[in-house]
Amino acid sequence: MTIMAQPPAAGAGGGSAAGALYDVIELILDRGLVIDVFVRVSIVGIELLTIDARVVVASIDTYLRFAERCGRLDLTGGRQPVGLPAIVGQITENSAERKVRGAIAGAGRAIADTIQDIVTPDGRGSN
Amino acid sequence: MPSYVYCFTHAQHPLALDDLRGVGAEEPVLRAVRHNGLAAVVSNAPEGLRPKRRDLVAHETVLETLCAAGPIVPLRFGTVAPDDDAVAAELARGARRYTELLTRLAGNVERNVKGTHQEDALLADLLTGNPQLRAANQALRTAGGGSESDRIAFGEQVYLAVEQRRIRDTAYVVAALRPFAELDRHAPAVEGCFMNVSFLIPTDAQDDFDAAVVQLLTAMEGYAELRASAALPPYSFVDFAEARV
Repeated sequence: MTIMAQPPAAGAGGGSAAGALYDVIELILDRGLVIDVFVRVSIVGIELLTIDARVVVASIDTYLRFAERCGRLDLTGGRQPVGLPAIVGQITENSAERKVRGAIAGAGRAIADTIQDIVTPDGRGSN
Repeated sequence: MPSYVYCFTHAQHPLALDDLRGVGAEEPVLRAVRHNGLAAVVSNAPEGLRPKRRDLVAHETVLETLCAAGPIVPLRFGTVAPDDDAVAAELARGARRYTELLTRLAGNVERNVKGTHQEDALLADLLTGNPQLRAANQALRTAGGGSESDRIAFGEQVYLAVEQRRIRDTAYVVAALRPFAELDRHAPAVEGCFMNVSFLIPTDAQDDFDAAVVQLLTAMEGYAELRASAALPPYSFVDFAEARV
């Protein structure tokens, strides 16, 4: 079983590269061996691709957004705190795969939306 | 002529390059530069390379395809050498290091796991479990939202609690998946994700790894989601540092 954000795109060179590209774009651009004596092509926009989440998150706007979001929560339902079960060391087979795929695809779209703002698609000019 | 370099590998790698095309609008053919038992896969370097979808896919496809046929050391996107002679010189200079690296990477793939919280569930959980936060939230509500400085102060407390959860939940996921991995590394932070971690997994341990991811997804349903990549070239494991997450 392969757990993926999206099914591989048809006709993408026989690999899963196109379908899963958005999910690993920061690895392609920010990881991999760097050879000091070779030039790394200076690519406009690359530095925008990976964002230090802490820098982005820790801002006044973020604080205000959290406050607003909390203010709108309905906490009257006698909600139980979410406890993460002691899963480590007791991984077993289960049949949640179908449900899981839906959840994965949803999160995948969110990431793709973020990255699509940054990477220039083919056919559109950028300088 | 400048050479765009994709990866290093053993010279005995099958190096089936005929059906692959490189980065750039011209979709250049690939060739191998060999030196003393090592090989580099290169193409003519395109001019004005930018990270267009087509080029990222080309780079990734070349690496994924070659990685499936034998160990490779993936180079970062956009690496250009002055010419093939310079590539051969680098293979000579780093021969020992690259040979050791290929030995260590053989039989392994990278699997990347990203986690996202469902924000409302996370925030509700934090408020429910923390009387002070809950009371502060209620006080702001009663005050019709409160002053901006009150909202900022409250929001910062929530932010700090969220940060604690990011750390806790990352540790939880990593602890569950680490038994299947040779190594694990933090991947670059990605907006919206509470965790982004890559694991170096033996090819034959992938089914167990996948089953563990499914188990985690079930355990965190309604609270957080995980997304595990397919098998990737070992982008995050091209040095010898043993640091773990």
